[in-house]
Amino acid sequence: MSDTATIRGRRQWPLPKLADPDAPLLMVEDLAVRFRMPEGSVKAVDGVSFRLDDGEALGIAGESGCGKTTTALSLVRLLPANGRIKSGKVELFGIDLVPRTEQQLARYRWREISIVFQGAMNALNPVRRIRDAISEPIEVRLGQSRDASRKRAGELLELVGIPKQRGAAYPHELSGGMRQRAMIAMALACDPAIVIGDEPTTALDVMVQAQILRLLEQLRRDLGLSLILITHDLSVIAETCDRVMVMYAGRVAEEGPVRRVFTAPRHPYTQKLLSAFPNIHADRRTLDMIPGMPPDLRNPPPGCRFAPRCPMAMPVCTEVVPPEVRFADGVRVACHLYPTSDAPMVAATATATGAAAGAVTGATVAAHPEPGA
Amino acid sequence: MSAPAVPAGTGGAVVARPRRQPGLLRQILSRPDGLAGAVILLAFSVLALVPDILTGPLQTAITATGPRLAPPSGAFPLGTDELGRSMLNLTVHATRISMVIGLLATLVTVLIGAVLGIVSGYVGGRFDALVMRIADFFLVIPTFVLAIILTAIIRDVLGTGSRELFGIRLSLITIVVVIGITSWSSTARIIRSQTLSLKERAFVDRARVVGAGGGHIMRRHILPNVTNLIVANAVLTFAGAILTETTLSFVGLGDPFQPSWGQLLDAARTVGAPGLGAWWYFVPAGVGIVLVVFAFTLLGSALDAILNPKLQSRR
Amino acid sequence: MGLQYTLRRVATAIFTIVLIVLLNFLLFRAMPGSPERILLGRMPGVTPEILQQTRERWGLDRPLFPDQFVAYVASTAQGDLGFSYSARGRPVTDVLLQRLGPTLLLFGLGEVFAIVMGLALGAYSGWKRGGVVDYVGNGVSLVLYSTPYFLLGMGLLLVFATGLGWFPTFGMSTAGATYASLVDRLVDYGAHFVLPLATVALGLIGQYAILMRSSVIETLGEDYVTTARAMGFRDGRVLRHHALPNAMLPTVTLVAINLGYVVAGAITVEVVFNWPGLGTLTVDALSSRDYPVLQGVFLLLSVAVVFANLAADLIYGVLDPRVRT
Repeated sequence: MSDTATIRGRRQWPLPKLADPDAPLLMVEDLAVRFRMPEGSVKAVDGVSFRLDDGEALGIAGESGCGKTTTALSLVRLLPANGRIKSGKVELFGIDLVPRTEQQLARYRWREISIVFQGAMNALNPVRRIRDAISEPIEVRLGQSRDASRKRAGELLELVGIPKQRGAAYPHELSGGMRQRAMIAMALACDPAIVIGDEPTTALDVMVQAQILRLLEQLRRDLGLSLILITHDLSVIAETCDRVMVMYAGRVAEEGPVRRVFTAPRHPYTQKLLSAFPNIHADRRTLDMIPGMPPDLRNPPPGCRFAPRCPMAMPVCTEVVPPEVRFADGVRVACHLYPTSDAPMVAATATATGAAAGAVTGATVAAHPEPGA
Repeated sequence: MSAPAVPAGTGGAVVARPRRQPGLLRQILSRPDGLAGAVILLAFSVLALVPDILTGPLQTAITATGPRLAPPSGAFPLGTDELGRSMLNLTVHATRISMVIGLLATLVTVLIGAVLGIVSGYVGGRFDALVMRIADFFLVIPTFVLAIILTAIIRDVLGTGSRELFGIRLSLITIVVVIGITSWSSTARIIRSQTLSLKERAFVDRARVVGAGGGHIMRRHILPNVTNLIVANAVLTFAGAILTETTLSFVGLGDPFQPSWGQLLDAARTVGAPGLGAWWYFVPAGVGIVLVVFAFTLLGSALDAILNPKLQSRR
Repeated sequence: MGLQYTLRRVATAIFTIVLIVLLNFLLFRAMPGSPERILLGRMPGVTPEILQQTRERWGLDRPLFPDQFVAYVASTAQGDLGFSYSARGRPVTDVLLQRLGPTLLLFGLGEVFAIVMGLALGAYSGWKRGGVVDYVGNGVSLVLYSTPYFLLGMGLLLVFATGLGWFPTFGMSTAGATYASLVDRLVDYGAHFVLPLATVALGLIGQYAILMRSSVIETLGEDYVTTARAMGFRDGRVLRHHALPNAMLPTVTLVAINLGYVVAGAITVEVVFNWPGLGTLTVDALSSRDYPVLQGVFLLLSVAVVFANLAADLIYGVLDPRVRT
């Protein structure tokens, strides 16, 4: 498990002053985000925890409205006027960002965490040339001279595969794929520790999608980037991510290494999600649909939020919020099918590892057979 | 825009009619801006319809009884003009003149604009290009100066006289016509735009396939679906027509025998009322103008919000 | 900037000017009742023989096209716009040029003021939505929008000149005054200038403020503003460098579209304050039926508006790269 010290060794720019050298790169604990709407308060994110280590790629998957984008944007508090982080911790290099003022937080924006938005036309300023859009944060946030910023912008363009001459172009003169590459170059401008990709390939056609994913993968290797990829497209996560976090209705359903979660999903929602996804190799069969609709988050159902639609729901599911359980293969699940009450299992926190848990999970695994794919 | 509903079982002849807006009037009145606009306009309409009942017949130099240019008093609540006429009397009668001219001018403008817009949009081609060029021309040039010249020329050709049409002297009917000639462009553009998008819709194709002629399609299919837009546009056109007539009257093209608000303001300026401090001469007419135009603008925005909910920003 | 874009705009402008000249020409010749009767009808002692002589002298007995039209275009191109009746036969061109200055001053400065202040007010309202400034400003703007300029002028005259006595009530300078120094002269001119300028500016500010406000609100919701915030830029930078350059664009268009209407307003404001510009010229010419002058004014103002529109189009092309292709 790498830590801040490793990051420090690799980066050009120094870490923030308050950084804790032993802390993991990113640690989110019990994050809760509310939106104030005229009809009431919407609990868009309710108790989400996860961890990101240096050089990792975490994919956040789920349906529209499950809170994945809100979770990611709230890391740098990029919420609309009616949104607020109600509680929880967001620790970057061990520095909790939640209690920081807007001004203090601005220090970390883009320089430590940057975002690649869905590269639709509007994410780039239409009256700015893209090379100026890239050099602006270098100049303003890093205090570089105009010439140095321009030079660096040119390098970044080459890095993402845009010929330097094209830097003089305006966004409307570029194709969708080029615009997405420009957005990636912009995101790398300040050499951040984490890059968040918010549906970065959704608006693109399949061929271009593959190119962008390959680019992201290459950059991750070459620059040692840490990535948070938000998407509803599971195939993208399968290709590029190390770990995946499946969210439903503002909560984490399941989280763990991609291989494990995708081949042996434990949470019923994850199972449904995967089976709803057409598999080009498998035999032809009818796609499973998940009946019903996601809950109204102004008044979410008590207990497990997936219970109303869950084929394996039990009476306890509609009463008690399922606690998180961690398995030996590194997967966390929040589902009453895997209760903690049987054995003296430690409810999962992100740091729970060790022999005790391992012995216990071994017993639990034996008690509950692995669910089929 | 309301989507056309195709009634079931119509077989070959498909006529697309817009869904009836449930209580458009009620919708307008439920909104604060719609309600305010409607109330104000209602009040002025009453004044415009029965001025004689409220303040007696229009006073002339002969029937004037008051002191000259006197400030408001018990006998003359809004003071008098330089001929001794009661300003209250004059202003109330002017309401009728201004509103009727505005109404007539709006009718002419919207008629020309809607017809040209529909035909031009539907027929397309060179005719459309030509009409739009002319419309753009009228949008660019300062039509006010053109209106001044046109009114002067037409008046000179027609000569003086006291014939009336709709209760309005011919000299003022000239203004109605001139406003129509110079203001149709924006209506035409808007209607044409809508026609263009309607033209592509399935129900028009079906009608064409069945063999319906252009005129029939325009009348029975396109026209009903642009009615909402025409109404919304007419409201705003009315406001503009009143402003234009007021301004034309102010520069001397009004008729002293049938004074509109603008004509009263012209008289006030000629007499030097602002310089003399005789506020009662022009403030009432001025307030009337501002209120009526404001009311139309409010109504227009209420209508726009109701009929175009997609464009409405929830701010 | 795209050559094609520029050429297209210039071509349209030229085409419009041709139409204007044609319209001017037709206005008098194509009217029923022969032109000379309209033009001379008011003068006493006009006999049929004089009418006939005039017809021949003015070439009105020649065919409309091409003879009369060509002659008209030729003389217009040479700057010969005829002779004014009421000004005892002075060339129309002279009369127009004499009155042009004051109008340009009033109207030009008024627009500049209105644009600067309207944009600033609108941007502020849009940025801080819901504040007192926002509601009050919006309401005031709407009322101003419904008020004809001249009414505004009369009101200002009443309050500030007659009522409070701060400013003179008419003219560009005090009639028959002698000035001790240049400063005195400027002060006198300035005092006369304030109210008319305020009227023109106030009339326009409302529109520009309302438009700018909604434009800023819309721009602030755009994705590239979210990107700018995500970059950690301060609010000031986001507003000035990202939001405003985009929010300004509709206002430029509005300024151009409005020019035709503003001319009407400027004319009437001049009348209220007796400002010696093209506006008062027009109204005087109207009452004396001095048609050559009226025609000249129409030509001048229309062509001016066309050129101003062209300039606005080209400026827009500089500001918004998307239209240049």
